[in-house]
Amino acid sequence: MNPIMASAPALFTIRSVDYRAISPVLIILAVALVSVFVEAFVGRSARRPVQLVLVFGAFLATFIDLITLHATRLVTAAGSVAVDGPALVMQGAIILLAALAAMLMAERMVDPSGDPFAARASSLPGSVDEAEFSARGYFQTEVWPLLLFSVAGMMLFVSANDLLLMFVALEVMSLPIYLMAGMARRRRLLSQEASLKYFLLGAFASAFFLYGMALTFGFAGSVNLGSIADAVSAKPSQSGLLLLAVAMLSIGLLFKVAAVPFHQWTPDAYQGAPTAVTALMATTVKIAAFGALMRVLYVAFGGIRWDWTPMLWIVAILTMVVGSVIAVTQSDIKRMLAYSSVAQAGFILVGVIAVSGKGLASVLFYVIAYGFATIGAFAVVSVVRDASGEATHLSKWAGLGKKSPVTGAVLSLLMLSFAGIPLTSGFIGKFAVFSAAIANGATWLVIVAVIASVVSAFFYARVIVLMFFSEPTEATASVVVPSAFTTIVIAAGATVTVVVGIAPQPLLDLVNNAGLFLR
Amino acid sequence: MNAAVQAGNVGETLVFWICAFFSVLGALGLIVSRKAVHSALWMALVMINLAILFVANSAPFLGMAQIVVYTGAVMMLFLFVLMMVGVDSSDSLIETIKGQRVAGILLGIGMGLLLVFGLGSALTNSTSVGLDAANGVDKGNVQGIAHLIFTDYLIPFEVTSALLITAALGAMVLAHRERWIPRLTQMQLSRARFAGSGHPGNLPNPGIYARHNAVDTPALLPDGSTTDLSIPGPLVARGGIRPVDHAEVDEVAAITDGGQS
Amino acid sequence: MNPVNYVILSAVLFSIGAIGVLVRRNAIIVFMSVELMLNAANLAFVAFARINGILSGQVIAFFVMVVAAAEVVVGLAIIVQIFRTRRSVSIDEPNLLKH
Repeated sequence: MNPIMASAPALFTIRSVDYRAISPVLIILAVALVSVFVEAFVGRSARRPVQLVLVFGAFLATFIDLITLHATRLVTAAGSVAVDGPALVMQGAIILLAALAAMLMAERMVDPSGDPFAARASSLPGSVDEAEFSARGYFQTEVWPLLLFSVAGMMLFVSANDLLLMFVALEVMSLPIYLMAGMARRRRLLSQEASLKYFLLGAFASAFFLYGMALTFGFAGSVNLGSIADAVSAKPSQSGLLLLAVAMLSIGLLFKVAAVPFHQWTPDAYQGAPTAVTALMATTVKIAAFGALMRVLYVAFGGIRWDWTPMLWIVAILTMVVGSVIAVTQSDIKRMLAYSSVAQAGFILVGVIAVSGKGLASVLFYVIAYGFATIGAFAVVSVVRDASGEATHLSKWAGLGKKSPVTGAVLSLLMLSFAGIPLTSGFIGKFAVFSAAIANGATWLVIVAVIASVVSAFFYARVIVLMFFSEPTEATASVVVPSAFTTIVIAAGATVTVVVGIAPQPLLDLVNNAGLFLR
Repeated sequence: MNAAVQAGNVGETLVFWICAFFSVLGALGLIVSRKAVHSALWMALVMINLAILFVANSAPFLGMAQIVVYTGAVMMLFLFVLMMVGVDSSDSLIETIKGQRVAGILLGIGMGLLLVFGLGSALTNSTSVGLDAANGVDKGNVQGIAHLIFTDYLIPFEVTSALLITAALGAMVLAHRERWIPRLTQMQLSRARFAGSGHPGNLPNPGIYARHNAVDTPALLPDGSTTDLSIPGPLVARGGIRPVDHAEVDEVAAITDGGQS
Repeated sequence: MNPVNYVILSAVLFSIGAIGVLVRRNAIIVFMSVELMLNAANLAFVAFARINGILSGQVIAFFVMVVAAAEVVVGLAIIVQIFRTRRSVSIDEPNLLKH
């Protein structure tokens, strides 16, 4: 008998992987692969319907799968994937919001020329090629597999219990979004520039994350979050190394949540990217980034929380103040929403700083409530148009509420929710986050947060005043009647905002029952 | 070999300081070169030196991978794009935001000092375990890495495939140009050339004159007349056609006639 | 010789890369500086693998190479696309998005 064959079984012990527990991610990845093959083998005219069926089918199947898994609490695959309550809740939210963003991507009635994406991203803007491709009804259906890969990355990002898997998932999540950000049908130069800036700063941030990971490995001898936590409690002597590691990892993740001073990419990327992609960036990516940030800080570095909370205090205060103040000066609605999302990230960080089960639950509640309101707001932005495309300049919104009362009312509702006015989901979210922080003694932080939210209420109210208390002029944009896709998104955003605002208990129960991170 | 290197001998110290010098030099060259192509060459220097340092750190597999993946593939891709963009592509020295450059340098140096002194003080008392034991478990460095990839790091390994597919798909979406008109055949092209009113054959060569056969001189046709068709387009656009001195043409003709008679 | 020197070297290279990103305006040079930072992180992984006597560090460095290769493909595709549109790769020159 061959000696190599004889010795082979001793070489490897395969680690058990609970494929049932990670099946939601596997479904998305499998459908993404099928979707790539559809691009290769299905005729051009049939691609879009096939892709839509695949994408929405995948989201539906995954969501059902997540519901059947709701009680699962385990760590699998050699400790690299944690399927726990917070991960499952965030995965569910990511799926729902990604499905809504996919509806915005599928919208065809709003833009007179069809898709929100360039007919061919490879054709030069303004060239004969581009005009021909548009006229011949070409559509860039490759965005669908890209969307699926990105969503798979987000889902892994929130359940990665290992810094290496987290890093790989971060890239799987980000690369497709860098690409999609540059594929807008209109204002393509802006879109490409947004893509480049987002890419370069994203790569810069992931380099920081990676260096932090290297230092963590140097400290703990492992990149598994549980092992890091053990090392942190076992040997406090090398705390200089550990602090540098935490700082570097946090910088990488704070870039993704767009916290000040790592927010510079946000306004440009949000403004330039196609609105459907912006909606994806502002909701699902934010949820995924907060999930990963909390998992790293709570699970791996919970033992030295007194060392990193002061740093996070400063970042949170800067984020709330700078985001709110700069948002006041913006004259473009997408840039204003970008700075608003920066400010909101600051409010969420207040909940992160609580470092408690209550803080975790409140952050989960906040990101879900904020996600639905935000996607609704971007859906509204996508239907307000004039001859040149989306009318994002605020001067074109003057009197819009009188011209189209329903749209104006929905956007006002969402703005009130952002501002945290009672009877909206935003109020309950802010209340939960602030009370968790106070319970943990961060009273001064909450005072700053309340002041910042008063400032932020000002610019949200400004949009409402502009829409309802000024007369429509020649320049006022008009609201295009969208297809069912965008209508569903706007309705979902508004409904969740109101229902959660009036009856928050079911969602509160969900996030409270999610429990803590496993390790 | 690893054991000898591990022992902390003079050889490794020498290798370290030489490679450290060249890699820092290369890194500085990368960020101060005005031309991107020079930066790319400095970058290649850094990568080769890092490969040597990897090998010196008991990572022979990574050293090779560094050469193949980074200097072989990644840097070639960079250089390829630089050739496409134009090797002259250089940076403007104008600052769009005043003081940004100084602020960036100060921030970077501050971070560097923090890292160097932070790591230096945190690690001074640490002892090195060395990788001989770890490499010995699977009887080799490559085997050990393979073992880990297929056990502890199986899920990340599988997920990287999604990354590679995304990269391929993305590059194709952004760079692949589809045809919207069918490619013309040779026959169709030649038909089109003769059907049009243009010049079907080769244009006449640059001027052939007794004194001037420069490109900017109109060509002399067999019948003795001159034609501007021989002048390259850009010269015509710039108005750089050398005027034909007809007296000279006649003089040449007279001399040739005289010679014959 | 103390392997900690390798970690210090990696910190120096990482910082030089960060300065490059903050200071340079040519997208390709900025991107190469990011690659320098990733390489520096790899050196740190390899050095720490030796200091801790744990092979995982080398495996992680290997993964980083794969990820960096994918990132380079996407990044250069975006840069080439911008270049074809504008005939320039400066990240300031196309200043449509103003603060």
